[in-house]
Amino acid sequence: MSTATMERFSVSRTLHLARWNTVLLVRNRLALSYALVFPLVPLPMLLLGDRGSSTLGISAIGGVLLLAGLFPVFYNVLSQFVSRRDELVLKRMRTGETKDGELLAGIALPGILCALLTCAVAVPIAIAGGQMVPVNILLFALGAVLATVMFAAFAYWTAAWTRSAEAAQLTSLPVIVLASVGPFVGGLPALSENVREAISLTPGAAMTELVRVGWFGFDGFEATTSTLSFAETWGLAGQPLLVMLVWTVIALDLARRSMRWEPRA
Amino acid sequence: MNSDLHNEFAVRVRGLRRTYGTGASAFEAVRGVDLDVPVGSITALLGTNGAGKTSTLEIIEGLAEPSAGSVEVLGRNPVTDRAAVRRRTGVLLQRSGFSGDLTVRETLKLWGGTLSAPRPVEEMIDLLDLRGRADTRVLSLSGGETRRVDLACTLMGGPELVVLDEPTTGLDPESRREVWALISGLREAGATVLVTTHYLDEAETLADRLEIMHAGQIVRSGTPTQIAAGHPSTISFSRLEQLPEGISGVTHRREEYGRTILQTQDLQTSLAHLLAWAGGNGVRLDSLDARSPSLESVFLAIADGRDPISPESSETELLEGSLR
Repeated sequence: MSTATMERFSVSRTLHLARWNTVLLVRNRLALSYALVFPLVPLPMLLLGDRGSSTLGISAIGGVLLLAGLFPVFYNVLSQFVSRRDELVLKRMRTGETKDGELLAGIALPGILCALLTCAVAVPIAIAGGQMVPVNILLFALGAVLATVMFAAFAYWTAAWTRSAEAAQLTSLPVIVLASVGPFVGGLPALSENVREAISLTPGAAMTELVRVGWFGFDGFEATTSTLSFAETWGLAGQPLLVMLVWTVIALDLARRSMRWEPRA
Repeated sequence: MNSDLHNEFAVRVRGLRRTYGTGASAFEAVRGVDLDVPVGSITALLGTNGAGKTSTLEIIEGLAEPSAGSVEVLGRNPVTDRAAVRRRTGVLLQRSGFSGDLTVRETLKLWGGTLSAPRPVEEMIDLLDLRGRADTRVLSLSGGETRRVDLACTLMGGPELVVLDEPTTGLDPESRREVWALISGLREAGATVLVTTHYLDEAETLADRLEIMHAGQIVRSGTPTQIAAGHPSTISFSRLEQLPEGISGVTHRREEYGRTILQTQDLQTSLAHLLAWAGGNGVRLDSLDARSPSLESVFLAIADGRDPISPESSETELLEGSLR
């Protein structure tokens, strides 16, 4: 009966909150350097082996995407959310006009921005390091955006059962392992078909696959040469994009069921 | 719903219950509270720690849902009509929550940017006497200064209803007076205030209505005078061994901390009798103190479970009947 309940998410309020969360992130030098420097750590790998090696390229670029999801987004959003909750900032904000969704998005946006920035910077660096120009740069961009949203969702789900900012060092592990299993294990040749199938459904494997298809134009896990055209990459990107989308929906649903806004009494 | 009621009461609570936990460990903090806050009044919710005040306020603030009962804030449901209610209310939580790395001015800019119709930041800085600390990070503020920043946020949206959970706790006496002047000013401007406090003298002086909570229920409601009515006055002085028998009106006598304390139903007569006796016998009544029934004595009696007027007595029913 009330039109007030229908009121929509306010983009301007969300951006306002994001702006101040960015100020806070910049004032926390340690968190800021984690967010901006860590994701770029895999890039020097490009200088280690044969110049232009696609194996190295996939590891390095996939690594940037994974670390951009894990550090500026997942770990940063998790610790910001938990420490704001401990400081009763979230409870205070919720007494005002700010809606829960705006509060959550406002915390995630600075980290998402850092992640997308490092992914963008990685493109010219990788090309300068001898890697091929991406076959479908849009797919890489889409993958980066979806990855950041997915890891923000993982952060809120993890925050629901994280007691304090210190505890986040431990409670962040399940997601870190879940995300890392694909890039680290998925490429091993000795895996059985079933195991490979299962691993391909993890978030990290989907991200690696997106890099193989979107950037390198590789068709299948054994491919070592670029065979796909720009148009063909879209078709093969469907499964990894869907996997990431499903993880995002699952994480958001789990987060919504168990969300806590103030410290445990 | 009846729109007349909405105009009359800013908050209406009926049969409110709030239970924490489930099963054997469940604890019912609020056990059937009815509460009306008249528009334009200052209503003080009093009670010892653990009486259920904050648990009740959190439901009125829309931060928690009741286990049973109903709540209307400005005629609406604070949870389902959240956006509409929040635009017209200002809340101060029992404990302040700010990011320590922002300055006072930045904190107010952050808060103001979330409101539909914020008052200017500089106006709030002056109103809460924060001019000298405007560029200080919240981390470095004293408890009282942080509380004033918090109050600035509460009032920044120009609320019709202000809900304050212990606004003056941790403030020095001067700041306390300023905050209460501010709260009185809100009433002058037509706002409604629902406040909890541990300072009974403040509540007694400034509140139009008092609601005393004990063990999850409201056990007494009314104006400060109505609540104190029927309670004995007290006369006390440095301990004397010898006192006249049967001072008129005195119902009870005890010795405490080196003082003699008399309770009386008729302060003037008892005092006249006592003074006449002392004058006639050359007795000096050191540190003589005589006082009408205070809220404090009623409050302590309720908190100790020795409430002289039980809620079941006819006198209370009459009192409450005339108020509700």
